[in-house]
Amino acid sequence: MTDQSTDRAPTASRPLRGHVVRGLSDRAVAWIFIGPTILLLLAINIFPLIWTIRLSLTNYRANRTAEAVEWVGLRNYQRILTDPDIWHTMQATAHFLIWTIVLQVLIGFTLAYLINKKFRGNDLWTTLIVLPMMLSPAVVGNFWTFLYQPQIGLFNYVVGYLSGVDPSSFSMIGDVALAPWAIVIVDTWMWTPFVMLICLAGLRSIPESIYEAAECDRASKWRQFWTITIPMALPFLMLAVLFRGIENFKMFDLVVQLTGGGPGSITELTSINLKREAFEKWRTGYASAYAVILFVTVFGLASIYVKALNKVKQR
Amino acid sequence: MSSYSVTHPSLRQKWFAGVIVVAYALITLMPLIWIVATGFKSPSDAIAYPPKVVFEPTLEGYVNLFTTRTRLSPEALAAAGPAQTWYDEIVRQYDMVISGPSRYGERFFNSVIIGFGSTFLSIFLGTLAAYGFSRFRVPLKDDLLFFILSTRMMPPVAVAIPIFLMFREVGLSDTHLGMILLYTAVNLSLSVWLLKGFIDEIPVEYEEAALIDGYTRFQAFYKVVLPQAATGIASTAIFCLIFAWNEYAFAVLLTSGTAQTAPPFIPTIIGVGKDWPAVAAGATLFLVPVMVFTVLLRKHLLRGITFGAVRK
Amino acid sequence: MRALVQDLARLRRGPWEMLATVLIALGVVMLMQPVSLWLYTHSFVVTLVGTVMFIIVSHFPE
Repeated sequence: MTDQSTDRAPTASRPLRGHVVRGLSDRAVAWIFIGPTILLLLAINIFPLIWTIRLSLTNYRANRTAEAVEWVGLRNYQRILTDPDIWHTMQATAHFLIWTIVLQVLIGFTLAYLINKKFRGNDLWTTLIVLPMMLSPAVVGNFWTFLYQPQIGLFNYVVGYLSGVDPSSFSMIGDVALAPWAIVIVDTWMWTPFVMLICLAGLRSIPESIYEAAECDRASKWRQFWTITIPMALPFLMLAVLFRGIENFKMFDLVVQLTGGGPGSITELTSINLKREAFEKWRTGYASAYAVILFVTVFGLASIYVKALNKVKQR
Repeated sequence: MSSYSVTHPSLRQKWFAGVIVVAYALITLMPLIWIVATGFKSPSDAIAYPPKVVFEPTLEGYVNLFTTRTRLSPEALAAAGPAQTWYDEIVRQYDMVISGPSRYGERFFNSVIIGFGSTFLSIFLGTLAAYGFSRFRVPLKDDLLFFILSTRMMPPVAVAIPIFLMFREVGLSDTHLGMILLYTAVNLSLSVWLLKGFIDEIPVEYEEAALIDGYTRFQAFYKVVLPQAATGIASTAIFCLIFAWNEYAFAVLLTSGTAQTAPPFIPTIIGVGKDWPAVAAGATLFLVPVMVFTVLLRKHLLRGITFGAVRK
Repeated sequence: MRALVQDLARLRRGPWEMLATVLIALGVVMLMQPVSLWLYTHSFVVTLVGTVMFIIVSHFPE
């Protein structure tokens, strides 16, 4: 954040002086500006949401519209929340979530720290590193199945070359023990730049004067790192962690293309499981209840996220 | 005092940092380079062991990507006469002839229509809304803004259930219009938040001066604010375009034929023949535009991924 | 501790938001932990309460 924008912020956020223009009050003008957006979101987000909640209380099946629909009360919720299979799906999601966040934060922060040393050409290399995260996860996930092929895959070849293991002796996607890590690796490859960029912004927001003051106090580098760098960058780190957490909680495209939830249901993350219930088994009512549970969870996490956003904004 | 300083790193530290970052960049770019390279390999080179780094480039992958081919018996092949074009020639090596175009072109074109259509709509609506939120007292402003943002966070598979039913009801299933509206709704959150950030930075005094000069509110908006926000609008548009371009979950669940975009289609290219060069060619054509846009966007990337909160 | 309780009683935004945040986080952990099915079953209620609380208390004065 530049000094300029903080200087300007108070003037800019002040509402315009109240004019009444051609008979339109300020409030009417405001609604002309905001109205269309709100209407579209009501039609494509709120209305479907209410419909989902309604459906979640029924046994409706979208592929058998002729059948009578019965109200089942909260039974769908009860069944989902006592189903050990869905619980295992949540745990698969947790494994994916925790490891991707740990790896991305460690690698991302380290990279940001190094880039912040401002070596020559750091801008160019930062841009190159960022490339994977802007690409289509489904297309990239699909191509990674090729890199993961035993024997002919580049990933297996490189791992084999470096470790001496026969590249055709292991299959990242086909092996029950390796598949959960296969998705962690690709997600980390793809999204580490995201964490890196945000950490870099955090590091750059720390005023140099603080370090200079610490330097005068003869604080050790180690101490400076833990008492200045980390605490000052922490709000940014939190932001990155929360965002990656929400994104990976609902992860679908990358993993569906990579493993399709297999082998068995080892990498069947929540969204993939939900897709099976809703669009393969067509248990629409049941899947709606499942969806509502995910909505509420994400909504809760999103409110924490916005709180973190505002915290960063104040800097 | 040691020579080490956090704020003014020594030359040695810079070298050390540089070498590690460059090494990471090269490793992380390998898969992308591999995609592009595989697109120019022959099918046998693509699955060679050990993986071939040096190979003879061919356009077979691209020919296979854009065409469907049929195998002919030697007699029929002889009857068909010599190859007419360079792409015919490539196919003839395998005793095949081109029988028609593949559906990749259509799917790619769908991506273009839906991408640009939804980007245009979400920028149009988003700019208006962002201006409204930035300059007017709106009741429940924070709640509305939060609600707008939260729509983007929702799991697409969960959102797709009621949308699927709704589209079926009103006849929007598998149509361009349906997908454009859906992507617009998802992108609005990003465009409103980002553009509000950009418009917040334009000093309100300019508009006040314009109003005193006798402009109406709307004239002040499009004659004073819009030109000033042009860079912001452009980079927001690219973000929206990239999202719509990359989107997979809605596309695979809500489209099957006419309106299907490229991301759900590309994985199906592989077929039974394990034609990796064609897949790689399809992926290359699809991904390279995004890479170019990313480079153009680099100054605003951070803003885009944090909904305008971090400005650098 | 006393200050916190006082702030809660005076319906201040900060501590209540913190409480709601903790509830949401707790609900999410309960949802995904591998230890007890009972916790999993009751996670949704906790998250729901936390989320609704967050929406309400974000309108409390600072």
